[in-house]
Formats: sequence, structure tokens, C-alpha cells
Amino acid sequence: MDFRHPFLNNPRLALFYGLFWVASALVMMLILVFANGLDYWGALVEVFSSMVVFAIVGTSIWYVVRFSTLENNSAVRILLSHFIAASIIVFLYMYIGVVLIKLLNPAAIEWVNKAFINRIFGGYMLYVIYVVFFYAVNYYYSFKEKVRNEGKLIALVKEAELHALKSQINPHFLFNSLNSISSLTMTNPARAQEMVINLSQLMRYSLKHDQSEKVSFKQELENNNLYLQIEKVRFGSKLEPVFEIDENCLKAEIPNMILQPIYENAIKYGVYEATEPVEIKTVARCSDELLQITISNPYDANVKSKKGEGIGLRNIRDRLQIIYGNPYLLKLEDNKKEFTVTLTIPQKIKQNV
Amino acid sequence: MSEKLRTIIVEDEELARQLMKSFLSESDKIEIIAECENGFEGVKMINELKPDLVFLDIQMPKITGFELLELLEHKPQIIFATAYDQFAIKAFEYNAADYLLKPYSKDRLLEAVDKVSERIQKEGTTSDVAERIGNYPKEDFLDRVVVKDRHKIHIIPVDHIRYVESMDDYVMIYTTEGRHMKQKTMHYFEDTLNPKEFVRIHRSYIVKVSEINEIQQYEKESYIVILHDKTKLKVSKTGYKNLKDALNF
Repeated sequence: MDFRHPFLNNPRLALFYGLFWVASALVMMLILVFANGLDYWGALVEVFSSMVVFAIVGTSIWYVVRFSTLENNSAVRILLSHFIAASIIVFLYMYIGVVLIKLLNPAAIEWVNKAFINRIFGGYMLYVIYVVFFYAVNYYYSFKEKVRNEGKLIALVKEAELHALKSQINPHFLFNSLNSISSLTMTNPARAQEMVINLSQLMRYSLKHDQSEKVSFKQELENNNLYLQIEKVRFGSKLEPVFEIDENCLKAEIPNMILQPIYENAIKYGVYEATEPVEIKTVARCSDELLQITISNPYDANVKSKKGEGIGLRNIRDRLQIIYGNPYLLKLEDNKKEFTVTLTIPQKIKQNV
Repeated sequence: MSEKLRTIIVEDEELARQLMKSFLSESDKIEIIAECENGFEGVKMINELKPDLVFLDIQMPKITGFELLELLEHKPQIIFATAYDQFAIKAFEYNAADYLLKPYSKDRLLEAVDKVSERIQKEGTTSDVAERIGNYPKEDFLDRVVVKDRHKIHIIPVDHIRYVESMDDYVMIYTTEGRHMKQKTMHYFEDTLNPKEFVRIHRSYIVKVSEINEIQQYEKESYIVILHDKTKLKVSKTGYKNLKDALNF
């Protein structure tokens, strides 16, 4: 989200704004001179102290609009904050105006005093016009950002889909699993059958699901468990998945297939290179706003040939960034003995009415 | 030839071993004398038991099947069995007798056995496995080197190599921890070490660029490099040119 002032971001908009006020001020000056009979100096001071001052002070109304967006705040709060901001701005506007007139054209001060209430009213009216204008600008901006983000999301989803197909139905994973099944058909047909079914379920899940879709943490865990079960048939006691899941977390939402590349990595670097049993530990905790998942695996730093710090992990980071707009949701820790991935998944924030 | 082929299976997955054993039990040409779960064990058993035939997986813990071949003193016939088809060319450059893709059928395995037993009748039990023929394939640069001294196998990350010196049929690899001998040619290392990091400075030396502290003129037209630990190495004319190219001076 961009909090910069639209006039700074868009010099053309600032130019139009300036021209609009200069033109209005000129017209006003002519009216004052020819209809109300003021002298030129008096008219200039009057226009300057009323219109130009507001044109300058009014730009700050953007920040009020920006920090009390219509989506995240209650109506009462929005009205209240605008009322307070309007009063401050009108006060400033009046104060600067009076000071300027006193300095530059003391004779007109009486005239000002008479129109005092009108001027205050005018100030509030202008405030309202500004607020409407800035909300429109703000809406336009967020609309444009949304379009841009959606475009990015679609591209990333495609990539993630492809990657998921490539990694989950990774040919070597598949061929090695099939070889295990081939072996089991002779020694343990029941387990062979079980493995065929697990493999089918996993393939169906990875083919079916749309990548931008969120699923329950429970569902995501079940599917990753299928993956781990299949790998366990191959690696036997070498692979020891351990889960410490807080039951309350199971209902939490999570983008689907976001965990699979993490387990794949853990197996590749942890289990594959190991000759001893390797514990892949998953811990999940949650609050109303956050689901935190930690997956860790020990590895042998001497053996690991460090090639490409996981396209899979980078892909997860990108997906989280796009979905939640935060680049710090994936954290990697490597203490040369253990590799730990921590995912923080924001849960839907309840809208206050 | 009535004698059975003395065979070792090197395979990390239990189920894959069971399958292979069960298929092989139907051949009267095979006698399984050992099974190994990883490359380290494989090297030890093959050097000790000197089998006629080895079934070898490629992706294994600790060291790969190819790295295992480089450490063998005894050279048996090799049949690879792997899920990866991209290593087939490399496998035949190692003069492998056959290359089985998992999952394979019993017939395919027994066919491989027939092939290898014919080959043994023609050539005798040992072959020139690990003596690679032809050029080294253009693959990724090495990221580790596996060496063996009397009892231990060392895995040296390429990051730890400081320089390589040729010694007749061997090379001496100087690392941050010590030095190791390996039966390879300088040409092999010149091809497989990343030329951005390693430069051939002399017929006898390949040096890691970041280890060089100083390049000194020694006589007219001849130079030496001085490494951070004060080791001095001769630089040949061509070597000096290579250094110039690598360091841009």
C-alpha cells in the first residue's frame, strides 16, 4: 500500500490542482472587483487569504482520508475523525487568513468580521469537497493496485501449479514409488495396494486444486501426510515425521500445497543424505489472527552439496507476498545442524461494523 | 563357465533391494555375497570381497554411485539401477555393462545378467570401469570431490580446495584442512572445476584464485604466485596468460 500523497506521485494531478485554484482565484478576484467594488489590492488579499490558503492547507486532508479508510473503520469513527480534522483545518485556515489580512490590508478586517460565520461554513464545505475528491483518488489507486496484484497472482499461480506438478509428481518420486510398489506386490500385497491408493489420492489432489484457493489446515496436513506416508514406504525408519499440532489450529485457513515443497526439501537434504533415522518435526500454534507452522529437519552440513537454495521455498515466499502483501511470512533458519522453516499465515481479520 | 557371478548390491532403499534379490534368485548365474545400504559401505565391501558384478544405485546417501566408482581399487562389472534416466550417457562413459531404469521388470533384469555374463566370458571378470573414455560431458561443475586414504573416505567441498598439484598418475589436492591424493588427471580437474574460481597456472598446478595473495616477477618472463599462507607456486607462460584473463589485469 502506498501512503504517498497523490500530488507527489502524480505531478500532472498537482498541476491541474494548481491551475484549477489559480483560475478560480482569478474569477473570484474579478467578481470582487467588478461586482463588489473592491480595489485590486483588497481583492488580491481577500482571494489569497481565503482561497489560496485553503488550497495549500487542504492538501493535508489526504492523510486524514488515507488513515481512515472506509473498509477498515466504523462509520462513527470515520465521521468523528473527519469532524476533528475539519475543525483543525478550518481553524488553521481562518487563523492564517485573518493574520494575512491584518498584515496586508488592515482596512478589510471589519468586512471579514462580518462574514466570519460564512467563512467558517465555507471552510467546512470545502473540507467535504476535498474529502470526496480524495476518497475518489484513493479508490482509484487501490483499484489499480488490485488489478496489478491480480495479474501478478495469476502469473504466480500458474508457475506454482507447474512447479507443484513438477515436484509433487516429480518423476523420480513417482518412479521410485512405483518401484517400491513393484517390490511390495510380492512381499506385502496389502501394503502395495495401500500405497497405490495413497499415490492416487495425492496425484488427484495436486491436479485438482486451484493454487490461489485456501483450504483448511486440516486438509493441507492430511494431503502432506499422504506424501510423507509414501516417502516413508521408501525410506522406512529413516523418515520419522513428528507432528505437534494444536487442535484449535486445524480450522485455520492456509493456501493449499504450500507445505509440500518444504517437506520435499526436508526429505531431500535431511533424509536422503542420512543413514540414521531423521525426525521431520512439524509444530503448529495459532491465535485468532495468526497460524504459525514450524517445520524442521536435522541435516549433515558436510554432505550437503549446496546447490540452489530451493526454488520451492522462493515460490512459497512469493505466493505469501502476493496473497497477504507481506514479504516476512516465510522465515528460514540454518544453524548448520538443523534447518528450520517458519511460516506465519495471517487469518481473516474480523471486520468491525 | 559354470561358476556363479559373485554379486554385490549397493542400494539404499530396502524395498528396492528386496525386489532385486527376489528377481535375481531366479537366475542360476548369480550369487549374492553382500548387500550395502550406502556408498561408504559399498566401497569397503567391493574392495574387500572383490565381486565379479555390482548392481549400483546412483542417488544414495553420503556418496553417489559415480563417486563410489572413483574410489574402487577392484574394478568389477557394473549394472546401474536408478530412477534417473539422465545419467545413462555418463554411465556408459564409465563403461557400465547395463543401465536399468526403475521400475524394471524381472525379464529386463535377467537380460542384463545374461549380457554381463557374456561380457565376462569375453573380457574376463574385471573391466575398465571408472576409466572414463572420451571427453568429459559438459555438466555442472563439481561441487565436491571424494577421496579415500587407507581407511577413510573424505568428502571435500570444492570451497575447501586451495590448489591442486599433479604427481605422475595422481593429483594432490591441498585443502584448508590438509591434503589428499586422488587418481585423476590434471585435465579432469581443469575441466570440472569452475574456471571462474580455479586457474591452471602451470603444467603442475591449478590454483584457486581467491587463495592468491601476490603475483611476483621471478626472473625476466617468469613469475610465481604467493598464496595467503606463503606457499609459492611456479607460473608458466601460458599460466600467466590464464591468470591475466581470470583476474583482468
